[in-house]
Amino acid sequence: MDEHESLQAFLAGRLGSADARRFDEHLLECEACWQAVREDRAGRLAAQVVRLLAPPGLTDRIAFAVEVAASARSQRPPAKVLSGLGWQLADGGIAVIGVLVAMLVLLPGVRGTPAMPAAVQAVARYAQTIAPPAGPLPWQAGARRTSPTEVDPPVSVTAGGQLIVLRTWRLGGTEAVVAVSQGPFPMPAGATDASGGGMAWSSPVGKLRLYCLNGQTSELIATPVPAAELAVLAGQLQLN
Amino acid sequence: MGVVGMSDHREFLDATLPYVDAVWQVARHAARDGLEPEDLVQETYLQAYAAFGSFQGGNPRAWLAAICLNVARSEARRRRRRPLELSGVAITDVAAGAGTRDSGPDVAELVMDSLDSQHISQCLAKLAEPRRMCIVMVDVARLTAGEAAEALGCPRGTVLARLHRGRLRLAELLAESRVSHGRA
Repeated sequence: MDEHESLQAFLAGRLGSADARRFDEHLLECEACWQAVREDRAGRLAAQVVRLLAPPGLTDRIAFAVEVAASARSQRPPAKVLSGLGWQLADGGIAVIGVLVAMLVLLPGVRGTPAMPAAVQAVARYAQTIAPPAGPLPWQAGARRTSPTEVDPPVSVTAGGQLIVLRTWRLGGTEAVVAVSQGPFPMPAGATDASGGGMAWSSPVGKLRLYCLNGQTSELIATPVPAAELAVLAGQLQLN
Repeated sequence: MGVVGMSDHREFLDATLPYVDAVWQVARHAARDGLEPEDLVQETYLQAYAAFGSFQGGNPRAWLAAICLNVARSEARRRRRRPLELSGVAITDVAAGAGTRDSGPDVAELVMDSLDSQHISQCLAKLAEPRRMCIVMVDVARLTAGEAAEALGCPRGTVLARLHRGRLRLAELLAESRVSHGRA
């Protein structure tokens, strides 16, 4: 082993005790190696200074993305339609929609903030591609009465440590994502607290409106309908 | 490649999420051309998940780091920019810095006096890509030299050599900038 190899082995802690002792003695005599050791350690210390903690929520974001991808890839049976409601979509259509939704959800753009709890953020991100209604809603004057129909396979995700099942419903000319969890959905900053204790709240997020009913089972609706129509829409979806 | 689905994603997350910090450290220094490190980490995990069926149970940290580098390179190619190579600035600086060690001030002391993370990041970015990635893998992301060798696809001895030369060059760059700023 030449001097350079010994130096690298010494710095990597790969020298045996006898060789390490010999190299220690060499360092007392050789200014070049001593400088190299000091500068190597200085460089290592400097590099360690640039470590930054991973952003909070990154783990949740990854878990969410993987779970959505897993859901899109799984061979699920056609979504069941709630009793007494609408029609069923063909298997192929459901699969395509599922993949499309998954791809759109995974697009970067919606970022977490301290004011936006991860679970709420995940639901909003999932629903962000829903287009606003083009015409009157089914219960409004002049609209054709239709019942809600489930259009995508359910998706299970974990966000903020909270297991959430996401279902997408078509209602008239728009859609709504209904997120169900065994834990309450925390109220984001700026939300309107309808109950005084965070049990029912609503909040705008971009073009979406969120409407939440917390309870033994909590539901969070995300849809681009006007705020005034949220409660009616929730009733149409037979929450609680 | 095996196809994974809902039943496997928990196993995948259990096996890989403990290493998200290491992937994050690599992604921060591998993301280029406006690619956000968070997006690179997410894409790394999605590609790793897609390939999890063929993962033979080796070292997950090294495996994820290798995927992260590949995704970063693919993304750079996709954006029709130069892949992870020396920039013109870095080449100039490396050439200018050669042979300046003999009569200069004490490099190690100057480095210790200038431990500012933003400044260090700037100097780190000037290193040649192979050396920089060895430093990022071992000193920043805390992979072992063996894991870094696996991720980078080179022998462990090469990693150690690049690591050593990279640290020396980083120390030199920090010392040079310290002299030019400190004596102004």
